[in-house]
Amino acid sequence: MRLIDRLGQWFNLRLPLGDPLQETMKHLVPRKSASWFYVFGSAALTVFLLQVVTGILLALIYVPSAGEAWNSLQTLNQGVSLGWFIRALHGWGSNFMVAIVLLHMVQVFLFGAYKFPRELTWIVGVFLLLMTLAMAFSGQVLRFDQDAYWGLGIGASIASRVPVIGPWSVQLMLGGPIIAGATLTRFFALHVFLIPGLLIAFVGVHLLMVLKLGINEWPMPGRIVRRSSYLQEYRELTHQQGVPFVPDALWKDILFSGFILVLIAGCAAYFGPFGPGGQPDPRIIQTAPRPDFFFLWLYALLSFLPPAAETPIMLLGPAIALTVLLILPLVAGEGEKSWRRRPIAVLSVLLIAVALGTMTRLGEYTPWSPVMNAWSGLPIPPEYLHGATSLERQGALVFQAKQCHNCHSLKGQGGQRGPALDRVALRLTHDQLIRQVIQGGGNMPAYAKNLTPAETTALVAFLETLHPPNQTPAVNASRAVALHIDAQTNSSPIRGDR
Amino acid sequence: MNRRAILGPLAILAVWAADACTSSPGAVPAKSEVQPPSEIVAFKVLYRENCAGCHGEDGKGGAASALANPVLLAIADDSVIRRTTAQGVAGTSMPAFAQSAGGMLTDRQIDSLVEGIRSWANPDALGGIVPPPFRAQTPGDPQRGADVFRTYCSSCHGADGRGGKKASSVVNGSYLALVSEQHLRTIVIAGLPELGAPDWRDDVPGHPMSEQEISDVVAWLSSQRPQFPGQPYPLPADRAEGEHR
Repeated sequence: MRLIDRLGQWFNLRLPLGDPLQETMKHLVPRKSASWFYVFGSAALTVFLLQVVTGILLALIYVPSAGEAWNSLQTLNQGVSLGWFIRALHGWGSNFMVAIVLLHMVQVFLFGAYKFPRELTWIVGVFLLLMTLAMAFSGQVLRFDQDAYWGLGIGASIASRVPVIGPWSVQLMLGGPIIAGATLTRFFALHVFLIPGLLIAFVGVHLLMVLKLGINEWPMPGRIVRRSSYLQEYRELTHQQGVPFVPDALWKDILFSGFILVLIAGCAAYFGPFGPGGQPDPRIIQTAPRPDFFFLWLYALLSFLPPAAETPIMLLGPAIALTVLLILPLVAGEGEKSWRRRPIAVLSVLLIAVALGTMTRLGEYTPWSPVMNAWSGLPIPPEYLHGATSLERQGALVFQAKQCHNCHSLKGQGGQRGPALDRVALRLTHDQLIRQVIQGGGNMPAYAKNLTPAETTALVAFLETLHPPNQTPAVNASRAVALHIDAQTNSSPIRGDR
Repeated sequence: MNRRAILGPLAILAVWAADACTSSPGAVPAKSEVQPPSEIVAFKVLYRENCAGCHGEDGKGGAASALANPVLLAIADDSVIRRTTAQGVAGTSMPAFAQSAGGMLTDRQIDSLVEGIRSWANPDALGGIVPPPFRAQTPGDPQRGADVFRTYCSSCHGADGRGGKKASSVVNGSYLALVSEQHLRTIVIAGLPELGAPDWRDDVPGHPMSEQEISDVVAWLSSQRPQFPGQPYPLPADRAEGEHR
């Protein structure tokens, strides 16, 4: 015991950290702020540390070269014992980190913690969010599979739209005119040196500010923040009902961080690592690249934008969002903190959450995109062919061979660009079906040049069978007249002859 | 005592965790890397991605004729299957799959498909009977073919081929425009067992069709093709005359 004491004194004399450490541990926290709502910041820090550790482990094996990166991930997955688990931890860690940083941000926003005197803490936090997203994107690039390759292509084409400096910024990003080895080493340097270095520095500043300014008190409706009196009020509050940070507040932080780590480990063990997908070979066109979870909303948004709106929204949108985030504490630095008295704040958060959630959901099943292999891979449900005539079966083949299935679903299988065709005969008559197939319309291309009259006839004959058995299909009243149907026999020359 | 109470469960947990690490569902199985599409040679994958859409899973149940038909596989040899897969059938819905013909599959992948489809064959399917040749050896005569049709086919397809109670029309102009002559011949010989169409032996039970009769009936069906198939409404009488039947 005495030895430890003497060792401590020896160090403290030469590296005087003891007092600031003790001050940090004992600094007073408003009692109500030692709450379960205040654990996200420390959890984000914990996950960041996990990312640093697992990242270093991965860097031991990973080879940042265009030819070897993909193979080195295979080695990690299969050649190194528990290599897959480290990869999975790092991948799931990044998902959790983005999620927790966003939660932290929402909590800070709703609790008014960005108001005086913590404006700069918020602004630094916004940069931390940007860096977290930059880490997520650059990490996805390091996987260097098809998703990474095409994701980079999309990133580069967004950058190229910036006026004046567009081409130059693409060169800078890719390290040349194309995605190649130089691109990968560039992103390796970003992901491993530059952004983590900045992150550590900014996290340090962020933490220092939290310690020096004190944690935000629990917002009470009606307790108004004023620049003139806030510091005095906060001091009184912490003195009257403060508790020391250690252990009263810390144990909740530790418990929640531990819980998050267990969750990450659980997800990593159960779901495994992300990718790598196919090799990043631009000659392979049978691919449907898709970004990682946290950028799915962006993927959906870009897909739905009308072409004319793309450039303005892609370039102005992020700029406006960033400006709003940065000047928020400056224009709203005083006033009410409680979310109970800030309905617009609550509604904004809800709106953004619903919008991002919807976009992410859409990004998951890409209803805007044809399923390019549905025609050759998804059979027509056998019950739709039950009792079909030879002509209708040929029509079903035309349906597959002309790749209608890629955009139209049958029994929930196939593309979703066009309407599902399970009941199309109830909606469209024979003539309307022919017109729609030949001339297209409503987002459907015209197929007149790609179908012979026999193919059209067969296809329409098949489509006319697509209705529930107990409902009769739509019929043109004039059709019987045009076909000279004999009312007695009710037989049409079409069926037999043509 | 207390220490044991803690250490015991911890040890169990550690052993369990170590075990879970090697067998957890997230572990990446060996040989699981994503292959470039041109290097996939597993028949099941190739068939599912390229053929199942029309020919059905496992070679039956699709809109196109079933490939898992033992009689079909007894008359069609590997070269027939390979050529059809690689080059498709012009004028029908069967596309060419070989890269040399504009498709996406390499020769190795086509070999794998041929091999896989062949594995559905049953060597004893015909019990020693020699089937008619896959390709017609003699030209057919449509006149005689009409008689052959009445003998062997009309009980299901109707006297004039426009369909009966058990089977649909086989003289529909659009239908005939979309199938090749060889396709008609193949169906006459191999039947469509899923749809209840018998092969050449059982159209009239106990009285198999002769090779000449098969050629004749195909010639008759072929002769039923209209000049302008697929008209949604009848052409005016003056144009219709002679242009389609």
